[in-house]
Amino acid sequence: MARRPDLLDTLSAPLLRQNPVTLQILGICSALAVTTSLATALTMAVSLTVVLTLAAGVISAIRAHIPETIRLIVQIVIIASLVIVIDQVLQAWFAEISRALSVFVGLITTNCLVLGRTEAYARFHAPLPAMVDAFGNGLGYSLVLIVIGALRELFGKGELMGIEVLPLASSGGWYTPLSLMLLAPSAFFLLGGLVWAIRSWRPEQVEAPEFVPPARTEPAE
Amino acid sequence: MTRGLWDRETVALLLIAAYAPMALTWLWYGGTGALGRLALALLVAGLWHLVFMLARAQPPSLAGAVAALAVAMLAPEDLGPLRLILGISFGTVMGELVFGGWGRNVVHPATVTLSFLGFGFPAFGWPDFVPPVFWAALPAALIGMATGILSGALMAGAALVAALAWANGALVPGLMPAATVVLVLLVADPVTSAATGLGRWLNGALYAALTLLFATRWEAVAPAQAAVAAALLAALAAPLLDETAIALWLARRRRRHGRP
Repeated sequence: MARRPDLLDTLSAPLLRQNPVTLQILGICSALAVTTSLATALTMAVSLTVVLTLAAGVISAIRAHIPETIRLIVQIVIIASLVIVIDQVLQAWFAEISRALSVFVGLITTNCLVLGRTEAYARFHAPLPAMVDAFGNGLGYSLVLIVIGALRELFGKGELMGIEVLPLASSGGWYTPLSLMLLAPSAFFLLGGLVWAIRSWRPEQVEAPEFVPPARTEPAE
Repeated sequence: MTRGLWDRETVALLLIAAYAPMALTWLWYGGTGALGRLALALLVAGLWHLVFMLARAQPPSLAGAVAALAVAMLAPEDLGPLRLILGISFGTVMGELVFGGWGRNVVHPATVTLSFLGFGFPAFGWPDFVPPVFWAALPAALIGMATGILSGALMAGAALVAALAWANGALVPGLMPAATVVLVLLVADPVTSAATGLGRWLNGALYAALTLLFATRWEAVAPAQAAVAAALLAALAAPLLDETAIALWLARRRRRHGRP
C-alpha cells in the first residue's frame, strides 16, 4: 500500500468496486432483516455509517496503545458504546422506526462489516484515512440497503417512504402488491440478483470456480 | 452417437411422452383456457431457454416444456398473463437456468414458479382436478416407471404413507387428485428427487406426510397449494435423504468389512 493512500480512492472504492455487501458478502444478516421498507433501511444505513465512521476514528486514534492480545475486546467495547448512543438517540427521536428496527440496531455491535473494517483497516492507518475508509464502506452498505429496501417496499406495498407510488388494486388502482416481497426470501433473491448484475457488469469480481469440469475425451456428436 | 442413446434430451422426451395422457385429458376438460395457459407457459419458458443459449451457450432443453406443462396445470387461476409471465420467468431463471440448465438444478423450476405465485399472490384460488385427470395421472406414472425415468420407489413410498393414512382414517377428502398430479409432475422429477434407493422411499414418504400435514393443519389451504408446498420441501430435503442413505450404507459396510 502507498505511504499516503489517495483519500478519494479510499472513499469511492467500497461503493462498487469493493462493495462490502455484494463483493465481500459482509453484513448480510441486517441487510436482509431491515429492508422491508425504505424508511427502516435508510435509518439502519445511517446508524451503521455513523457507528462505523466514529469507531474507526476512535480505534485508529488509540491504535498504538491497544495491546495486540485484547484488541478485539477493546474494539467491541468502543463499537458497543457508540451503538448504545445511537440506539438511545433513535429511541428518543424516532420511536416508531426504532421499534420497527427492533434488535438490529443493537446488533450493529456484532456486524461483521464494522468489526472487519476496524480490524483490517483502522488498526493500521491514521485517523483521517481510517474514517474515510469507514465512511466509504458505510456508504457502500447504505447503497445496497437503499436499493433493496426501495425495491421491496415499492413492489411489496406499492409505496416509497410510506407515500403511495403504485395505486393499489384494493383501493381502485391497478397494482396488485407482490406479498412475497415483504417476506425474508425476497431479500435473498434481490441480493442474489444484485450480486449477479454487478458481477456481470464487472467480471473481475467473479470468484474462481471451485470445481473444473473434466475435459471431454470423445468428440462431440 | 458416441455417447449412447440415454442423454438428457432422451429423458426429457420420455417425460413428455409419459405425461402426455394426463396433459391431453387435462386439455380436453380445460378447453381453450387451459390451452392458452399452456401456450403462454411454453412461450415464456422457451424464450428464457433461448436467452440463456445465446448469452451463456447453455443448450436449451425440452425439459422446459415439462416445467411449462406443470405450471399451466397447477398455477393459481385467473392470475392474468402478466403475473403468470413474471412467475414463470422467475421460476425458470432462478430455479433452473442460473444453475447451468436442467440436470444441475436443485428444485424443479415449476415448483419455484408455483411457490412464487402462491406466496406472492395469495388472493388467487388454486385449481381443482376433475376425476379423469386424476385417473390419467396413473398411466402417466406407469409409463414413467416402465421406461425408468420416474422412480417406482418414490411412488411406492408416497403410496405407503397414503395407504397408512387411509387405514387410520386420516386421509383428507379431496386431497388425492391434486396430491397425485403434483407427485407425478413435480416430486418424481428425475433431477430433483432423491437418487438412492432408500432415499427415494424416504423422499416419497416425506412428500406424502408433508402434504397430509399441511392439508390438515394449514387453515383454509387448497389441496394443490398444500401439495406444492410439500413438493418444495421434499425437493429441498432430497439431498439430505440421499446423504442419509449413503451414510447408512457406509456404516453397514464398515460393520461387515471392518475398515471402509
